Amino acid sequence: MLARGNVGLVHQHFELVDRLRVWENVVLGREPKRGPQLDRAAARAEVERLSHEYGLAVDPEAAVESLPVGIAQRVELLRELARDPAVLILDEPTAVLAPTEIDALFATVRALAARGTAVLIITHKLQEVVAHTSRVTVMRAGSVVARFDTEKTDVDQIARAMVGGELPALAARLETVPKPALALRGVSGGENSLAVRDASFEVRGGEIVGVAGVEGNGQSALADAIAGVIPYSGAIELEGMALAAENPADRIALGIRAIPQDRRREALVLPWSIVENVALGDQRRPPLRKGATIDRKAARNLADRIVQRFDVRTPSLDASVDSLSGGNQQKVVVGRALSNDPKFLLVYQPTRGIDVGAAALVQSRLIEARNAGVAVLLISFELDEILALSDRVIVMFRGAIVGTFERGAIDRARIGALMAGAA
Amino acid sequence: MSEFGHFIDLVLVKATPLIFAALGGVVCERAGILNIALEGQLTVGAFTGVAVSYGTGNPILGLVAGVVAGALVGLLLGVAATRFGVDQIVAGTGINLLALGGAAFGLTVVFGQPGASSEVRALGLRGEDVLIACAFLGAVLLHLALYRTPWGLRTRASGENPRAVRSAGVDPRNVRLMATLLGGALAGLGGVYLSLGELDLYSDNMTSGRGFIALAAVIFGRWTPLGATGAALGFGALAALQFVLQRTGIPSELMQALPYLAALAALTGIAGRARAPQADGVPYVE
Repeated sequence: MLARGNVGLVHQHFELVDRLRVWENVVLGREPKRGPQLDRAAARAEVERLSHEYGLAVDPEAAVESLPVGIAQRVELLRELARDPAVLILDEPTAVLAPTEIDALFATVRALAARGTAVLIITHKLQEVVAHTSRVTVMRAGSVVARFDTEKTDVDQIARAMVGGELPALAARLETVPKPALALRGVSGGENSLAVRDASFEVRGGEIVGVAGVEGNGQSALADAIAGVIPYSGAIELEGMALAAENPADRIALGIRAIPQDRRREALVLPWSIVENVALGDQRRPPLRKGATIDRKAARNLADRIVQRFDVRTPSLDASVDSLSGGNQQKVVVGRALSNDPKFLLVYQPTRGIDVGAAALVQSRLIEARNAGVAVLLISFELDEILALSDRVIVMFRGAIVGTFERGAIDRARIGALMAGAA
Repeated sequence: MSEFGHFIDLVLVKATPLIFAALGGVVCERAGILNIALEGQLTVGAFTGVAVSYGTGNPILGLVAGVVAGALVGLLLGVAATRFGVDQIVAGTGINLLALGGAAFGLTVVFGQPGASSEVRALGLRGEDVLIACAFLGAVLLHLALYRTPWGLRTRASGENPRAVRSAGVDPRNVRLMATLLGGALAGLGGVYLSLGELDLYSDNMTSGRGFIALAAVIFGRWTPLGATGAALGFGALAALQFVLQRTGIPSELMQALPYLAALAALTGIAGRARAPQADGVPYVE
């Protein structure tokens, strides 16, 4: 990035110095001075003034690392507002916020716009676009493909422009006869504020259980405990049998498969080919294992099946996954998890950062797996995704399960309130 | 002077080069550059000081030249790390080897003999005392600069999250470059102390691992100037004890290993948790 002029940018993943205080972050780069010294009193006063002026309450003395994400975002906003920007860009600003925090953010943004600031919001949440903007520009594969006045358009039209055609309908949900699969009994694990505490619930074969919650409320620890990659207390059972302590390889062998939250870091070896990546995790068992070696032909066949069934757009099976788009990478990950007849599928943010077409395909395959009797646990920060796919919704807040809703009795407002910590 | 007074003197003499080098390490690491080349900066400072004092007959000029040479070696690491994205450990190790070899080569070129230089005009007892005082003054000044000035805020931020510094409109690569320049100068002064303060000559490998002990002091001192100074004093006391304990039969090798054990203890949390700057040693590329 070169000279910024007076353009402000609020990043999706905040660019703050965690161990510095709020006021230090805000004045960094344009520090008030008294002689050779940094004028702390003036810096604090400025933060308090901005905080008051824009209605963004925050303690200037707090260390950023001690703040919840919603408040940390205010710090990033304050830092940009301190430069009095003519244009303010917000990159996926609601990805980490609870519904109530989202309302507060848009109230602030509207006030800014009313004062004459041009606000540009980059988002994939079409409901927010329709509810809060004046104009919409749709981009696909790096080019602008459509422009609308928000008043004269709707979610469907924007979605069609994003996909470049009709959005494929989700697979139909079939009647299933749920049978016991995975059960958690008082599971606790993980570190400090990101820990999961005393989680007990069941995911039965033939149902999708959605975990609703704002990012950072124990979902990662929950997923890591189930995958067997961190130590935990309590018990996790598969079909009535308690699983031995952390050991991901055993769990994969038993039919517990995962779609991790960060496909580039936790799921794929980027420089490797599709064939090598789909073999990863199953390399110890037939049909991929042949004697002491990996059966390359069997791995090729598996990769070929996944590419066909999941419509992976690739020039060849030997292409490195690094060369694929995010959506196609995710299809490889989902395809691998669904091959080899899983009993339980742990799904973490399956559609993060991929286009709506690929997202619909991934979601349909999850529903089909459920229809076929797989137990699916869906952890997502997109409440819409949870509500569209789940047979049951549990809500997590600060590591604990604070609510359970059956599909027939979903109360969106209540779920949103629980996500934000309402009792 | 009493026995105890002699011991304190010895501690100060042993600790002073460690303090200068540790301060150089602190300023670099707080900015995000893991300055493993402290040893090389000590060496170059020590040799250049002696060579210039020999050539000009003026030890003060030698001191200045040693500091400048140390700063240039620091800058070399900084440029490699910030402009070319070279791995800092690899670059630092290369610089250490280069410095050692370069000084050995310099001995034959300037003094016409390998192993050690001839004796040159040194800073003398008074000069040594001034340098010792400078080490402690430097610790206090660096502390104030790091925690009380805009420069310090930017330096600390660059060591934690250089992208945030970029977002704030400051180029963290320049902040880091500045830190390596200052850090190299401080370590260079430590080298000058060794060759022109404590002694009056340069001999091959006379720094004998002090740069690495200083790195340990940085960790043990929790990456703060005053903490690192305290740790360097402690390690200086260990070195002084070696002389006292020579007759008791405790192997001196054991005493020499203690600083590293202390640093390991600090890193593993046995002696309280040490938190390195988050972006310490992490290259920043745009």
